[in-house]
Amino acid sequence: MRRTLSLWLPRLPLERRIRLGDTRTEGAFAIVAESRNAWRLTHLSEAAGKAGLVPGLSLTDARAICPSLLTEPADPSREGALLRALWRWSDQFAPRVALAPPDGLVLDISGCAHLFGGERAMAEILLQRAGDLRFTARIGIADTKGAASALARFEAAPVAIAKPGETASALEPLPVAALGLDAALLNDIRRAGFQTIGQLYGIRSAELARRFGLALTHYLDRALERVPDPVVPASADPVYAARATLPDPIGLQADLEEVILRLAGAVCQRLGTAGCGARRYHLLVRPVDRPDEVMTVGFARPNATPGAVLQQFRRPLDKLKLAFGADFFRLSAESIEPLHPRQAGFSGAARREDDRADLISILGNRLGFDRVRIYAPEDSHLPEREYVTLDAMARPEAPAWQASPRARPIRLYHPPEPLRVETPGRPPLAFEWRRQLYEIARSTGPERLASEWWQATGGAMRDYWRVETRNGPRLWLVTWPGLAEPAWYVAGQFP
Amino acid sequence: MSSGYPLSALKAGLTPGPARGGIQLASCLTLARGRVHEIMGDSADVFALMVAGVADGPVYWIGSWREIESLSPTGMQDFLDPSRLVLTCCLNRGETLWAAEQALRARSAACVIAQLQDGPDLRESRRLQIAAEEGGAVGLTLLRGRAGNSAAETRWQCMARAEGGWEWICTKHKRGMPGAWRVSWRGKHHAPDLVPLAATASA
Repeated sequence: MRRTLSLWLPRLPLERRIRLGDTRTEGAFAIVAESRNAWRLTHLSEAAGKAGLVPGLSLTDARAICPSLLTEPADPSREGALLRALWRWSDQFAPRVALAPPDGLVLDISGCAHLFGGERAMAEILLQRAGDLRFTARIGIADTKGAASALARFEAAPVAIAKPGETASALEPLPVAALGLDAALLNDIRRAGFQTIGQLYGIRSAELARRFGLALTHYLDRALERVPDPVVPASADPVYAARATLPDPIGLQADLEEVILRLAGAVCQRLGTAGCGARRYHLLVRPVDRPDEVMTVGFARPNATPGAVLQQFRRPLDKLKLAFGADFFRLSAESIEPLHPRQAGFSGAARREDDRADLISILGNRLGFDRVRIYAPEDSHLPEREYVTLDAMARPEAPAWQASPRARPIRLYHPPEPLRVETPGRPPLAFEWRRQLYEIARSTGPERLASEWWQATGGAMRDYWRVETRNGPRLWLVTWPGLAEPAWYVAGQFP
Repeated sequence: MSSGYPLSALKAGLTPGPARGGIQLASCLTLARGRVHEIMGDSADVFALMVAGVADGPVYWIGSWREIESLSPTGMQDFLDPSRLVLTCCLNRGETLWAAEQALRARSAACVIAQLQDGPDLRESRRLQIAAEEGGAVGLTLLRGRAGNSAAETRWQCMARAEGGWEWICTKHKRGMPGAWRVSWRGKHHAPDLVPLAATASA
């Protein structure tokens, strides 16, 4: 006989804040989420509930009712991570645990309950341990997943147990909503006059299916165990990591490299079997006399070659001062991406790409990947906003450049560099810049550029002048029209 | 250099490996690949861009934050496609030299431009030279300050001329004659025109 336990955490987002030490939760506090075109309350603190707020209320209404209400938007990804942590935690009770997002877990406790002294005792222990972690939990135990979760969510008691074979009678008094149907279907059923699940028992499933669609009979059949509905445990993400614990600490560079090479071999073999490569590798080294050291290397393309991993770790390892050696190493791969095997073409384009990625990895691992950059065009008329730089590691598609309709310098000084006017004029006839005196032979301008109107801060209107100096250099001068005391700057240098 | 190559080949600058051949800037001017060249003067950028434009493949521009930040790809488009350019920002001279050596040694670069304040000394430039020979790229060191006693293949002084165009003076050439040229350029798909300046040819 299969037995299923459903664990429901009704206040999970709120309790995440409490566990973070958020003191606002002691007062009127609510988690809000956007649904049906409004921010609505989803979870309430006790004080907020006492103030007359209910879940589902829109935030504006809630503020009107309780002006002192403090809120925090829901964070589904962090809540999901917390639920996942609880999923790992709960394998102390049963070997097969499935996630029931957003706030539940389903445990297959067939043959497990007696280890805890029976189902009720097991549920009590589970409640207590969840309480120790500061989670409010409600538990339903039944033969099927659907029935267990209905009991957990719709019974008044924190622990509701349907004895084996008594699922139908346990579900009988519960409202139809306990089946977990979607809102439109539920509304439809209520309009037909059905209030409790028990009222549906008397009607043939063919009739129900004709009136409400197959979804209802499907849910009902699964809850009443007419069709099998096993607990399918979510499998853990594959971990691409390897560790080495040594009987004695090692400190010689050659020994360290041998260990890293073996770890990299193990990790890369697993990656290779999965047809993947990693873009980042973390190496944790535990020196015997100090806290752990973590080193990270990156690759510009997914990599699963042990030699390349070792090559990139050589330098950080060399800088690591191990006076007394280290005895624990862990290498883990991150940013796993599929590794597409490529045919070496006749043109060698693939090899050139690889060479480029390797060089970017070498440069980036020592200097930092934010310091190896490429240009990408931007759509703007302001000279300093006509382009951006991107991480070369990110390797976007080679951007297509279009010639600028205006003459632009090859060196652009942003912010522009001040110059000292020797002979005034518009532009100045002689000036000093970077400790050199320039006399103007010819000048073209002004090119007047206004700021981008959609930007709140873009600066005032500017006038640019192209000047050719008697010394040779062709410069780009800038000034701001309308200033009482004209200030001139060098904005760039033409070829 | 190992034996096995006829002396005439060595004299003609035909070194083994990928270093063979050169980058032809103009009909009378070729820069050797697999070598490092020093460029000085206020329009050194233009010289470097012209070489990078002729070289076929990725171009690495390595230098301090300040130098790299002031480059503007919009204006460069006359010389080369900015998407070929990979910028590398370094904090100090040591990093710049290291990055230049790595980039020269990797076979992916066609042209490596390293921007330095003062020229590399004999040891540093020799290392760059060996790396360039291995990788086959053309290396350019753009110097803001003074040139040292270096192992560079050629050394150029580049100035913009008030009448338009540039003046390129080759002050050192290991395998050829120094010279001076007045350079003008008509745009993207043309080679620059070089007119020798007889007066400064002996500089």
